[in-house]
Amino acid sequence: MAFGGIDVGSVNTSVVIFEDARILSHLIVSSGELDSEPRRAMEKALEAAGLDWGELATVVATGRGRSGVDFAQKWSSEVVCQARGAIWLFHTARTVINLGAESSRVISLNEYGKVQSFATNDKCAAGSGLFFESMSYLMEVPVAEMGQLALEAETAEEVSSRCAVFAESEVISHIHRGVAKERILAGLHRAVADRILDLVSQVTIYRDIVLTGGVARNPALVKELEERLGFAVCLPPEPQIVGALGAALLAGKKSG
Amino acid sequence: MVTSTSAKKHLQTTLEVPALRKKYYAESLQQGTNRKVAWCSNGIPSEILEAMDINAVYLENYATVCAAKRLSSGFCRAGERAGFSQDVCGYARILMGYLLGGEEAPEAPYGGVAKPDFLVVNSYSCDSRMGWFATMGRTLNLPVYVLDAPYQPQGGCTEDVNVIYSESQLEDFVAFIEEQTGTKLDRDKLREKLDLARRSHDIQVDIFEMRKAIPSPMGAGDAYTIVWPGMYLTGTKECDEFYQRLHSEVSERIEKKIGIVPEEKFRLLWSGLPFWYNMALLNYFEEFGGVVAIENAYFRYQKSLPSQHKDPIKDMAISSTMRRPYADDIEQRAEITLDIVRDYHVDGVILAFNPSCRLMYVLQPELKNVLDRHEIPNLSIECDMADERTYSEGQIKTRLDAFIERMLSGRK
Amino acid sequence: MIESLGRLRKDRHDEARAWKERMGKKVIGVFCCDVPEELIYAAGMLPVRILGEHEEASEGNLHFPTNVCPYPTSCLDQALKGRYDYLDGVIVPNVCDMIRAMHGAWKLNTAIPNVYFLEVPQRISNHGVEFFRENLARFQRSLEEISGNSISSESLKQAIDVYNRNRDLLHRAYEMRRKGLVSGVELQEMVLSSMLIPKEEHNRLMDQCLEEAGQRHPAGDGVRLFISASMLDDTDFLQLIEDCGGWVIADDMPMGSRYFFYSVDNEAEPLEALAKRYLARIPCPRKMLPQARFEYVEETLAGAEVQGVIIHNLKACDCHLYEYPYLKEMFEARGLPVLFFRGEETEAELETQRDDIEAFIEVLRG
Repeated sequence: MAFGGIDVGSVNTSVVIFEDARILSHLIVSSGELDSEPRRAMEKALEAAGLDWGELATVVATGRGRSGVDFAQKWSSEVVCQARGAIWLFHTARTVINLGAESSRVISLNEYGKVQSFATNDKCAAGSGLFFESMSYLMEVPVAEMGQLALEAETAEEVSSRCAVFAESEVISHIHRGVAKERILAGLHRAVADRILDLVSQVTIYRDIVLTGGVARNPALVKELEERLGFAVCLPPEPQIVGALGAALLAGKKSG
Repeated sequence: MVTSTSAKKHLQTTLEVPALRKKYYAESLQQGTNRKVAWCSNGIPSEILEAMDINAVYLENYATVCAAKRLSSGFCRAGERAGFSQDVCGYARILMGYLLGGEEAPEAPYGGVAKPDFLVVNSYSCDSRMGWFATMGRTLNLPVYVLDAPYQPQGGCTEDVNVIYSESQLEDFVAFIEEQTGTKLDRDKLREKLDLARRSHDIQVDIFEMRKAIPSPMGAGDAYTIVWPGMYLTGTKECDEFYQRLHSEVSERIEKKIGIVPEEKFRLLWSGLPFWYNMALLNYFEEFGGVVAIENAYFRYQKSLPSQHKDPIKDMAISSTMRRPYADDIEQRAEITLDIVRDYHVDGVILAFNPSCRLMYVLQPELKNVLDRHEIPNLSIECDMADERTYSEGQIKTRLDAFIERMLSGRK
Repeated sequence: MIESLGRLRKDRHDEARAWKERMGKKVIGVFCCDVPEELIYAAGMLPVRILGEHEEASEGNLHFPTNVCPYPTSCLDQALKGRYDYLDGVIVPNVCDMIRAMHGAWKLNTAIPNVYFLEVPQRISNHGVEFFRENLARFQRSLEEISGNSISSESLKQAIDVYNRNRDLLHRAYEMRRKGLVSGVELQEMVLSSMLIPKEEHNRLMDQCLEEAGQRHPAGDGVRLFISASMLDDTDFLQLIEDCGGWVIADDMPMGSRYFFYSVDNEAEPLEALAKRYLARIPCPRKMLPQARFEYVEETLAGAEVQGVIIHNLKACDCHLYEYPYLKEMFEARGLPVLFFRGEETEAELETQRDDIEAFIEVLRG
């Protein structure tokens, strides 16, 4: 029996099909694309897994847009699904830092893997995927290359503001002063890492820490976070599907 | 990102303050177990503490030192990570960062401050300090004494009921310290300190009065520094002598018509607290012939009353009831501000909105409304007084430049 | 009956105007739990708690900056929009920076007469009680002047009786809520309406509500929650919690237990009794008594078998924000997970809060 998990975010939709303790297929589609419509996305994932709808026992939906998924049997919060997905990937996980497109959250788990506390940041843009996108546009560097370029800098140009709007004007002023891009990017990543730590410090941090969400693909950000935390973090091979994975696992559990 | 920092000083006497301050902190730290240490908020009558030989550390000042030394980001961040919201007083976050930040916190200026034996806070300035001191009391597991007094939003009065309460609270305060120290208050000594403190205060009032002169003999850049001895060395000969020297210097400058700039083109009032991490901003106007002639945060405009009673505590209770310096009702504030603009020949007002100093922050929009109604040019800039992460140089300078242009074009 | 409580709050301005006309008496606006309403009642006037509204404070924002507690700005906004034109006075107690600022703001910007500042000591002591008592005597004289009636000791004692009765009734509702016979929203509506209509009328209403509630079966399987809040002047937030499957069974809120938890000792001389109760028995963090605060929270929590705690503080509320880390620690030490919100009183935030509340409840269900 196969189980499906779908994570409908405001920017991306991801799907995981799960069976017999392994991921059969996964899919990430950005919203606005036709395939991102939940039913379409699920169909595509089933196709990739070589299954049809009838072989799907249960579906659990998570993410901001979960209530719109009418073919789900259950709807679960991102906190619960992120935690579940992270634990499956790393059995020793005690803290999950989810850096999504629009919002971030930190989740603290007890020694039995149960969520004991969490904190969300959906007000402050700095640290989110969309923030990086707007910086990418400003600096004319593709998002996927920003981290790598930042790592090349020997020193960072300080971006000290704690607000995304301020950061933007500071970056503009650095650009006008002719500061090298990699140095500005290095400063930017530091500032973002600081903001993330502000969120993270709202819970007690225990190892191991798992980083999820698209922003986890950024090597410079990972490095800055690890420096601040004082130890290495666990990185899933596909950080954007952790929520959907957790939802699929929950679907499996629901069915007994 | 802040590029400039401390204010340029125009007066010789001002230059004495940093050394005084350094000495004060060094001595305070050195005294160790010889004197009891009290952590205090501004407004706690230091005459009483001086008379009882208490080593008083005024935390808000230490916070401004941290800010001036460009350490506020690190301390504030540490304080926030310890659980204190960004909304609360920047001074409090700095100190909580200092107390709880551990390795995350920057290195403390002057090697830190003397460890307290107890804490004292006054209730009639703002809410934040009470919560802050309660928090420190919990963290350090030390007693916190709250010095209360009637609020009297409309200023001074002579109501017996208020005087009685004020006196009772001062007496309770004395009793608390006597308990902590095991020594009794020497009222003669207090009388001495009180008289000396009042004298220093009155000299400062004279100096403020003299600043009405054109050209301005002393601007805000110096003023924010020279208030220091009066606030923290109250009742000492050192303090008294300092203000006498300052008075002479200011008199001389007026006599010789020595201003802050070669040609004074416009005069400003700075309303609210300055940005302690960038005091040089106060000098920025000087490039264009402008001076911040006066500021309203520590404005001293009322001379001390003659002694109201033989007993110094009763005297303090009666005087403080007749004069409520912390009364911040908007009507009073507005009146005082308009008087300042008129008397100090002010051309424009800078309204500094310091979000985490709720007390001052709350009143600024209404002050702006009053200024607008009276067609007094004004500029609002929003920036915390202690947390430099709120400062955006580009944005601030742009707005200041536009205002300066307006001031210059307004000249006949 | 319980449904109509919400209407009393929503139609409060019309209700107050109608009462004024009907009775030919005066209405006095009140800020905060610190004002002894009994005195206003004894003077034959109607005390009404000033509440904000969920609309943009377009007028209020011209007088207050952005990073402040939104509740007082909203209240001023309502006054500037003419919603409170029927008031014959407003009482502003010495409680916190923003409320204090209401005194100057209402005087300067509204035509509402008798904007009265009530001195309240910030420290609890015997001298403080005496000073407060003197100020209540002053307050009494002012109320007599405004109303044209004199307040005798007997009428004051009667007022205290009526108010104490109301407190008892609200206590009973509090107990019933713990048993699931009254919802969190309903209790909050009871408290809010108590602050808006004549007390003896509210007592009659409460009698009926409690009888009706007594006929109910205990509510199903909501997740049992404790709410601590700085200020919630309507029921939207609690409604959201209940919509998400939460069941508020105990609280520490000004529009909740803080209003009625402690009674006035009617054996003592009335002004003294009022001074004691209103000074020492309002468990607000502003009162600088951490020990008493925590004892109070323990009391309201007692016997409630709560699964989790939600703390809602309005932004820039220094008093509550300083206390928060310790309150959180206290709850977590008892094994109670805590969900914290820094509220701004906007419509938009209810949606993002929903996400977190749903997650919290899902986690608590296990």
